[in-house]
Amino acid sequence: MFDLVAQSVFSGLLAGAYYALIALGLALVFGTMRIINLAHGELVLLAGYIAYTAESRFGLDPLAALPAAIIIVALTSVIIYLLLTRIRVDREINSLILTFGIAIMLTNGILMIWSADIRSTTSGWYLDSIIIGDTLFAMNTEILFAVIGVLVVGAVWWWLSKSWYGRALRAVSSNRDAAKLMGIDPRTTEILSFAVAGLLASIAGIALYSGKVIEPSLGHSLTIKAFIITVLAGLGSVPGVLIGAVLIGVAESLTATLWSSALQGLVSMLLFLIVLLVMPSGLFGRTRRRG
Amino acid sequence: MMKYLSLIIILAGAYLAVPLQFGGNDYVIGIVVSALTIAGIAVAWAMLGNLGGMISFGHSAFFGVGAYGSALLAMNAGLPVFPSILAGGVIAGVVSILTMPTLRLRGPYFALAMLAFAEIFRILAIEMRWLTNGSGGLLSIPRLPTVFGFDFGSRLGGYFVVLTLVLLTVFVYWLIRNRPEGLALRAMHDSEDATLVVGVNATRLKAAVLVVSAFLTGIMGAFNAHYINFLEPDYAFNGSWTTLAIVAAIFGGYKTLWGPVAGALIVYLVDQFVFKAIMPSGHQLILGGLLAAIVIFSPSGLLPWLASRFRKEAGDAAHP
Amino acid sequence: MLLTLDHVTVAFGGLVAVSDVSFSVSEHEVLGLVGPNGAGKTTLFNAISGLVRPSKGKMTFCGHDLTGIPIHKRARIGIGRAFQVPQPMHELTVRENLIVAQHFGTGHSNPGKIDEILDLTRLGHKANRDAASSLALTEQKALEVGKALATNPRMLMLDEVLAGLETNGKRAFMQTLDDARQRFGVALLMVEHDIETISNTCQRVLVLNFGKLIADGSPEEVFRNPEVIRSYTGGETA
Repeated sequence: MFDLVAQSVFSGLLAGAYYALIALGLALVFGTMRIINLAHGELVLLAGYIAYTAESRFGLDPLAALPAAIIIVALTSVIIYLLLTRIRVDREINSLILTFGIAIMLTNGILMIWSADIRSTTSGWYLDSIIIGDTLFAMNTEILFAVIGVLVVGAVWWWLSKSWYGRALRAVSSNRDAAKLMGIDPRTTEILSFAVAGLLASIAGIALYSGKVIEPSLGHSLTIKAFIITVLAGLGSVPGVLIGAVLIGVAESLTATLWSSALQGLVSMLLFLIVLLVMPSGLFGRTRRRG
Repeated sequence: MMKYLSLIIILAGAYLAVPLQFGGNDYVIGIVVSALTIAGIAVAWAMLGNLGGMISFGHSAFFGVGAYGSALLAMNAGLPVFPSILAGGVIAGVVSILTMPTLRLRGPYFALAMLAFAEIFRILAIEMRWLTNGSGGLLSIPRLPTVFGFDFGSRLGGYFVVLTLVLLTVFVYWLIRNRPEGLALRAMHDSEDATLVVGVNATRLKAAVLVVSAFLTGIMGAFNAHYINFLEPDYAFNGSWTTLAIVAAIFGGYKTLWGPVAGALIVYLVDQFVFKAIMPSGHQLILGGLLAAIVIFSPSGLLPWLASRFRKEAGDAAHP
Repeated sequence: MLLTLDHVTVAFGGLVAVSDVSFSVSEHEVLGLVGPNGAGKTTLFNAISGLVRPSKGKMTFCGHDLTGIPIHKRARIGIGRAFQVPQPMHELTVRENLIVAQHFGTGHSNPGKIDEILDLTRLGHKANRDAASSLALTEQKALEVGKALATNPRMLMLDEVLAGLETNGKRAFMQTLDDARQRFGVALLMVEHDIETISNTCQRVLVLNFGKLIADGSPEEVFRNPEVIRSYTGGETA
């Protein structure tokens, strides 16, 4: 029993680091522009399919598809931003609806190009398992992307808090007009944050493809997962994303082990609603009003 | 006067011309029934959006609850179908009380909290096997009855029932919109203090609109259950009941009375008869594109856009 | 007594906006509230109508303790409020604005009284026009008073409703207020900058300075009070 729980927590931790990769792009855009990009999950999925094409058509390793995925996904992300700037009224709600529409387009675009079949990697190394300390079991891909996930969270956190661009981005998000007076062009920084969100989605997409199965309708649930983690983290907290993601990962994994795998989704939804309704600023966020 | 005349023409067309023209074609009538089902959800959804200022991504929860509620009452308690459709709506309305804590949340948070509720209901419908038979679904749900020799269980009968339900939904919406409560709700988003100092209790009104919207959505779900005689969680709680209703309402103009109905008919019929013929898979791509385009180019929707075009032309004609 | 304030203090964090104020308003009275900018007049109004909560003291209105009464219920017991910056209800016509105010402020509808208010505020010709976009400033202010009247108030609080109006506009507006008082028997509690208007209309004047009540009496005595004069001139030069 103890071994089972330990294994479950371990798998949950690994899943959490991977979830953080999925959520980070959405959290970044949400934190800096207060826009929820409902097409974020589809961007992740798009990168996954690019990795699939690279592997099945050109015989490349999924990771080798990263440059191509970054170019295509970041470009798509920036196009989404440019469309968002065309919204004139009711920005909050209309940006939600616009990105929702784009999500439907991407899902169906993927369906047309790659068909509804389920795809997964054929590269054996990723799915091979290793055993750590005689008892804990994991797939190579889980370990690899958990490490990448932690590193990427660290890099984004450093980038936002220490680099010049990160500061400019924060300046724009706290006061657009003041930032303009300081000579910062809000558009440039916002395009950059969408491009970086695209980059993050690309890494997440490769992780998704090399460890799970992909199908065109998956994007929606990826977006929801990313949003749940963002809410758990609280607005503007990068380390919070990792902790929120790990929390979800472990909670899901324990639910599956101790109860039933069908109830995994229920647990993360309940966690989401409880945090949303009871802890208005998330677990680690700055104080703000949602009511 | 013009208004009443056009209403009469539309009603005559809906009740007489459509059945006369397509009555024998079950395929066409079936698709029109689906379009009207979505129209009903779209009106109920738009009522919450327009009056309550709340965009919900979780109306499939109420649709599914209404469907299961009515089907189970008819199957297990032997309730006649029409009363059980009504009861399905009531159950959905009662269940919406569970979601009321979300009314405190602002825009996108409310939208996604409702989505979470919809997901929870879907999982519960799968897991509560003793009640819902889980993923196996419910088979042979009683069909709509034959009344005075007319078989409402036929495709055409279903058409008359759903058409009447949609018209009643619009009528309820119209009644509420013009009552002081509806006026206060419409004013609330932009003028919160102004409504407060004259004594409007915003929270209670929003809660009431949520219940009514859930009730009307549940009715559509209940109708649908008896129309197709089969339910499973992934169908009844499918997110596309919400998606299609949102696309329809936004496309037609969710702040207008008839916009959601017009939007549902145009979007769904064109999608099924035109786009689907051109590209059998992925034809909803165009719906997504439409939604994006309407938000960018005419955020208030198609009907207000047409109305302003019409007014402009009438104005140009009057003053050349 | 209609309204009684008993040692009311309103503080925001460390900042005391209204300090230990006590006064009362009787039925049908016309009471002016004056004082230099930042003296706490609007805060005091907000406390009475429920937009802010006093940190100390007690307020009663017609025997109701106001402490536990939420803002939307204060209209029901007879407190009407007109804002300094008119706040028409958007998306509604002028008449619909009044219908909403009447329905929620009184709990029943009375179309006759709506017509009466439209007539009194001279808004009859714009009754079916959009309230937010088609009214001039004077008309928006008239609607502000009209909405408050539609809730059937026993006391009407007017926050600088004359500000921004021309002399003729002011005169016409004061006439409207006087008619309203005659016809509906409401007491008026008005914040106003224009001392001449206050002297001409009010039976009694309260003066606030730095959140404290420094004078309470007839216009003649109050405006001769050296402390009041000092507060005004001090306020001007500082």
